[in-house]
Amino acid sequence: MLDLLPQLIVNGIVMGTLLAIPAIGFTAIFAVLRFPNFAVASHATIGAFAGYAANVGLGLPVEVSLVAAFLVAAVVGVLSDEIALRPLRPHGALTTAIASIALTIVLENAVRFIFGNDLRGYDLPLVRDWRIWGVRIGPQQVENLLLALALMSAVFLALRYTRIGKSMRAVADNPALAELKGIDPIMIGRLTVFFGMGLVGAGGMLLGVGTSIDPLTGFRFILPIFAAAVVGGLGSIPGAVLGAMVVGLGEELSLIVLSPSYRSAVGFLAIVIVLTFRPRGLLGERAY
Amino acid sequence: MATFRPTRRSVLAGMTASLAAPAVLRAQAAFAQGGPIKLGSLTPLTGVGGNYGPFMRDAIAGVIGAVNEAGGVLGREIVLVSEDTQTSPEAAVRAARKLIDVDGVAAIMGTWASSVTTAVAPLCWENQTMLFCVSGADSITLLPHRGFIARTQPNSKLQNDVATAFMVDQGATHLGWIGPQTPFAQGNIDNMTRIAGENGMEMDSLIYEADKSTYRSEVDTIMRAGPDFILLGGYTADTTVLLRDLWQAGYEGKLIGPAYAVNQTVLDALPADVLEGIFTWEPAPAIGSPAYANVQKILGVETVDPYSAQCYDHANLAILSIAAGGEATGATIRDSLRTISQGEGTVVSSAVEGLPIIADGVNYDGASGPCDFNEIGDITGTQFLFKRIEDGAAVEFART
Repeated sequence: MLDLLPQLIVNGIVMGTLLAIPAIGFTAIFAVLRFPNFAVASHATIGAFAGYAANVGLGLPVEVSLVAAFLVAAVVGVLSDEIALRPLRPHGALTTAIASIALTIVLENAVRFIFGNDLRGYDLPLVRDWRIWGVRIGPQQVENLLLALALMSAVFLALRYTRIGKSMRAVADNPALAELKGIDPIMIGRLTVFFGMGLVGAGGMLLGVGTSIDPLTGFRFILPIFAAAVVGGLGSIPGAVLGAMVVGLGEELSLIVLSPSYRSAVGFLAIVIVLTFRPRGLLGERAY
Repeated sequence: MATFRPTRRSVLAGMTASLAAPAVLRAQAAFAQGGPIKLGSLTPLTGVGGNYGPFMRDAIAGVIGAVNEAGGVLGREIVLVSEDTQTSPEAAVRAARKLIDVDGVAAIMGTWASSVTTAVAPLCWENQTMLFCVSGADSITLLPHRGFIARTQPNSKLQNDVATAFMVDQGATHLGWIGPQTPFAQGNIDNMTRIAGENGMEMDSLIYEADKSTYRSEVDTIMRAGPDFILLGGYTADTTVLLRDLWQAGYEGKLIGPAYAVNQTVLDALPADVLEGIFTWEPAPAIGSPAYANVQKILGVETVDPYSAQCYDHANLAILSIAAGGEATGATIRDSLRTISQGEGTVVSSAVEGLPIIADGVNYDGASGPCDFNEIGDITGTQFLFKRIEDGAAVEFART
């Protein structure tokens, strides 16, 4: 099996990079609003279907459809948060987290109601993988990888250099102090949900582009997304990227020693191992 | 002699009694008839089996509608209660509890996925409710069901035997099996390994985790073993992903998958290039039979899928069994099933046809085949249909 190692590493890096996008959205929302929003599952699905509608329904290219995926998931994210989750936030993180599970079921079924249960594929030319030194990689994978890297770069630049990004970081670090400095935490919360769920939607589409999508698309990724955020350190954006790499590479490399039917166990295992030795996650700075 | 002098109280009582009389009479009539007979349909209306479930339910409803139009059974109307398994064992168990505990159905018909049937089965035999299924896992009829399970789908071993023999006939030299963890996965692998050994061939297998968005690494692993003919053991969702990954990886060998997995949904979801030359196989309905024509009419389709054909049979078998046993209970259906489905009676293709002559003995021949059951509830024979995908469409290749 060791001869497959280079291939598994490439597969793991691709999967990790794609997982990082929704994981960043998840962890950003956690950092600012202080609860794990499990509705990311349905928002990933919504993004995947919005991208599908733009790509197949309107004939738009993947890059433009990705914008549609981002915007639709972001708007649905803000609206559903305002209606279902924000009124519950004063009752605590656990209550809101449980409500987010209910919300994701409602939204997932709304997608099912509109699009049905059938599998759907994006309108993309299917081409054989390239083989480079015995390692294969698909052109679409490379494009997805580049799109994911561009999104990640945009997130890091926005957080570092824009006024909104700095405000988000301030609220994440200390909401009371940020409010004293004139930052409206409610508005920053809305913006965080907008950008966070937008990223989740774009990530859902990127994860679906290489395969097929159905109403359970996002649900399939909730465990690796959650695992990536926890392993990296909940609330840490670089941590989410690192955690996604750990989970992505871990799932693929596990095939060397484990049956593929145990792949999902790797996410659990990563959470257990990391939290045993570092309860705040790999790059987490704050224990919640 | 006492004289009757109407008082205000007695007049009011008399009027109330007069007004109530029709309701009392109606209630008595209903009691005499025993009320409607309830039968349950538990098909996958959503989930990975969601493209079959609605037709399966409609086939059952068609049979029940026709019997009701003809006067019902035992002088009683039949009511169909339909629930959705969601192709999920947990959801199916909740739905089955409702059908058994709340509705009190005599039979549950149409469970599709083996995992669903396995989960629902104990509820049925513990509550003496007859379970008709279309699931293939060998283990199902080996459960201690005390006769309360009958399946019209050939078991997994028979299906797998037929497909593997086909692969050998098509010139395979190195067999492969790839699919998710299911109740029949290991059994199929063992079976194929035995047949490969008997024919001097190699055999490699890989069980993967269902519901993944990509199987690139799994494909690399199975291709590394070098099979030239792979049997796909999964369902529609994972098979779609797998076929795309196999094609992108440059796999040049032959592929065969069950028709329930490589179905129209897959043909719609993947480009023709990816699908070209893939074989499918399925238990074939008895396409020349009068029962098959009945299902075509009920569903308004030219080609009836095997599960809808089997569900048509489930409903007819349940109703004829109730008529033969004289009681609308699961135990009666169990006890009468083989009386009406096999033997020397007049061959009939529907309950409507069989009910008037039930006392003289009937032998039900269905849309899915003869519907003869062995002692553990498996059917004893059926036809198989092989198709080959050409230019994005499944074309008949062979029948056995």
